[in-house]
Amino acid sequence: MTFELLKTAVKDGGARLGRLAFSGRRTVDTPNFFGLTSRGVIPHVTPDNVEKHLHTNGTYMALEDFIERPQQYMTRSPPIYETPSPINKPLNSFTAMPSSIITVLGSRRLPAVASPMGNTNQGISVFTSTGFQAVTTKEYLNAVQSLNPDIAIPLADLTHKTNTPTSKRALRMAERTDDWIKEWFTEMYKNKDSKIATFAPVLPISYSMQWEYLERLSEEHASNPAGLSEIQKPRHPPRLALTAPSTPHQVLRQLALGMDIFLLPFLSTASDAGIALSFTFPPPPPGSSESSELLPLGIDMSSPEHSISLTPLTDSCTCYACTTHHRAFVQHLLCAREMLGWTLLQIHNHAVLASFFASIREALADGTFEEKAKQFQLRYEPEIPTGLGERPRARGYHFKSEGPNEQKKNKPAWSKFEGEEGEQVKEGEKKVEGTVAEKVGELRIQDEQSGSSGLGSGVDSVAETPLVPDENADAKDLEEKGFAERVEEEKK
Amino acid sequence: MSIVQRMASNKASSAALTFELVAKCSTTRARASILTLPHGPVNLPIFMPVATQASLKGITPEQLESTGCRLCLNNTYHLGLKPGQEVLDAVGGAHKLQGWKHNLLTDSGGFQMVSLLKLAKVTEEGVRFLSPHDGSPMLLTPEHSMSLQNSIGSDIMMQLDDVLVTTHPDKARMREAMERSVRWLDRCIKAHKNPDRQNLFCIIQGGLDLEMRRECCREMVARDTPGIAIGGLSGGEAKDDFCKVVAACTELLPELKPRYVMGIGYPEDLVVSTALGADMFDCVWPTRTARFGNAITKHGVLNMKKEQYAKDFGPIEDGCGCPCCRPVDQEGAIGVTRAFVHHNSAKETVAAHLLTIHNVWYQLHLMGGARDAIIADKFPAFVKEFFNNLYPDRKSYPSWAVNALKTVGIDLFES
Ligand SMILES: [Zn+2]
Ligand SMILES: [Zn+2]
Repeated sequence: MTFELLKTAVKDGGARLGRLAFSGRRTVDTPNFFGLTSRGVIPHVTPDNVEKHLHTNGTYMALEDFIERPQQYMTRSPPIYETPSPINKPLNSFTAMPSSIITVLGSRRLPAVASPMGNTNQGISVFTSTGFQAVTTKEYLNAVQSLNPDIAIPLADLTHKTNTPTSKRALRMAERTDDWIKEWFTEMYKNKDSKIATFAPVLPISYSMQWEYLERLSEEHASNPAGLSEIQKPRHPPRLALTAPSTPHQVLRQLALGMDIFLLPFLSTASDAGIALSFTFPPPPPGSSESSELLPLGIDMSSPEHSISLTPLTDSCTCYACTTHHRAFVQHLLCAREMLGWTLLQIHNHAVLASFFASIREALADGTFEEKAKQFQLRYEPEIPTGLGERPRARGYHFKSEGPNEQKKNKPAWSKFEGEEGEQVKEGEKKVEGTVAEKVGELRIQDEQSGSSGLGSGVDSVAETPLVPDENADAKDLEEKGFAERVEEEKK
Repeated sequence: MSIVQRMASNKASSAALTFELVAKCSTTRARASILTLPHGPVNLPIFMPVATQASLKGITPEQLESTGCRLCLNNTYHLGLKPGQEVLDAVGGAHKLQGWKHNLLTDSGGFQMVSLLKLAKVTEEGVRFLSPHDGSPMLLTPEHSMSLQNSIGSDIMMQLDDVLVTTHPDKARMREAMERSVRWLDRCIKAHKNPDRQNLFCIIQGGLDLEMRRECCREMVARDTPGIAIGGLSGGEAKDDFCKVVAACTELLPELKPRYVMGIGYPEDLVVSTALGADMFDCVWPTRTARFGNAITKHGVLNMKKEQYAKDFGPIEDGCGCPCCRPVDQEGAIGVTRAFVHHNSAKETVAAHLLTIHNVWYQLHLMGGARDAIIADKFPAFVKEFFNNLYPDRKSYPSWAVNALKTVGIDLFES
């Protein structure tokens, strides 16, 4: 790996322009973003479309997405470790991720679900599709060496809770992580040929503690760490933000503090919500009439106002979705809950971010970044709209348990089946939900194979085209839509 | 060995379609042809995947195109409700709505009403049913169906027919349905606004009564529609009966018109029906079953969710040329393994998308293979190899297939 720092906006720190390169991979001009995967895929986007249409040069993958232990096969080793890989990139080969794309391997998804078990001196607790399990530092090291990602993030003793750790917990965090990093560097590069770049974790702890931790990191492993993986102290190695900014405004702020590469959970969230992101950098010049009004960061494509609009999702976008399709189609797909709607939005939203970062790099190069960033903050609304469209079904491993009173992530499906089986999943037992979902899947197969139509038992109804009439279509709709006419009296 | 029969006149045209018979199998009734529709030519025999709501299970039109598909289905009933006729008119039809440059076929919409709404009642006027939402009585007529299909702009549209399950016990009702379907065809022809750019196909009815089927064939053929469908099958009838109906119809149908057997899609059904002289088929099964983790292969349907595939790093199907399975050094290869599909089956939609691509490819290429074999006049060998792959043990060959193929000169047990 090489990282070249081309320009910094201010003397000591601030936003910076760089170039990250791995042999055999696409070069990444920074600042930039990497795609965020779920179980090794960018949600809704097949690997061929990632390569052709997504314009992302890297992806982040979480080990916890690959190491579940199915109940009946508890002793089975995770299949991913046995992936044959002619290119010696088992992580790419297992996930069919194009070999041109840089892979980052971390232990946890982003954002991660806080584990009730907590970490130990030996390692951390992770959340797989079959529940929580422990991963020791040794196991993690072996996993990384076996999967050979381009970038690996060592384990850190993080809690993944929103509150700041107590000073006692923070101290233990620093000490444990410190020990783990030591072990990492002792073991990781025993094989001199290893090309894996370590992006050392930076901890959410006080400045003084952080300082000590980073000092030790740079003294003891000066020759080794290729990067830092959280926002902190300006240094020369590239910085990967695991901070999950929720808006482009936050991206700009963190970028101004010197972050180089971002992982952006809000991308898929927006697509799932039916939102086409619509911001550009810099913002369009204020028109004479609506100069005082803030611009939205995204457009709700499920809104009926787009139903006959043949314009692209956003005017200037050149993505596959915008050049081949139009708003009317995406609106129809969202309304009909066809999976392609989310696919097209993912392609578009990734393209919006790619051009956002490209323009930022241009501005950094010509010295106009700060001015334009200021305009951006002033022109756009603070938050991405929520969207009224119905989302794809969330699976157990998709979301964070927020305690016993959290709202159900999935609306009860319209079938009876969910009512009878799904309701048995009690709040707070989220890990069971994944299992239930699988059981349900199997039942549906039997259902299908036994020849009964299975049409009404659509637990995963989002992706299934309902063949029974739309529950919301009343006689007036049928008539207005020309499908049939209303008859006043039943004639004999 | 015999020579492929070539006819002096092997081409017939109507306003919006040309049918060119390329070759006929010298043993069976199988035919290879080129059907030229308003959005380009398609090779027959053909399997047509079903993009019910103007989208095929999450794959992009570009990906569908990459499977070789040039003719797919949309459902009139679904498009009639969403996005609705008004939007279709405003947008300029279903091709434009979904960004599909190739051909579309639509059903009449009647099938959904009759088969899914228990309360549907058919009268001479049309299909009466109660609105599923507020219970108001509604009426779907041949004219409504034509008007909607005209708005959709499909290259092939289907007449509204009085469709009964073939196993319906009441013979008088069956006759009524058959005769009414003929009368409704006349109404459809009259109501069809774009015969110069949309082809209206008739649908042969008559249940399992072969005499009634023949009578219906004669009536329908007399109306000279550009193509002909055999309807009412794919229900609960025995496979033997199904084959007899197809055979009875193809025997009477004009040589230079495409013959479409509606709603069938299992590979054995496609191969046998092709041998019986049918050209076009559609079914939701290949794409629907992908969502359950099922891969269609020449050795049968494999469920990728089974534990045995967890560490299977081979392609979904060895030797398959689809983008998922083709060797990774080839152009457009995705490099998907069974292990990866297993990993994400029922977890990430992408696994279903990948299986959809594979399954559609499989079905299209099964028909492509049949076509090549017909042209080379090696179709009987193709059929034997197909069954040999599917059932390694000859004893398990389905008797309906054995019997049906025997009627057209193929003995599956002969070496
Ligand atoms: Zn776009
Ligand atoms: Zn394949």
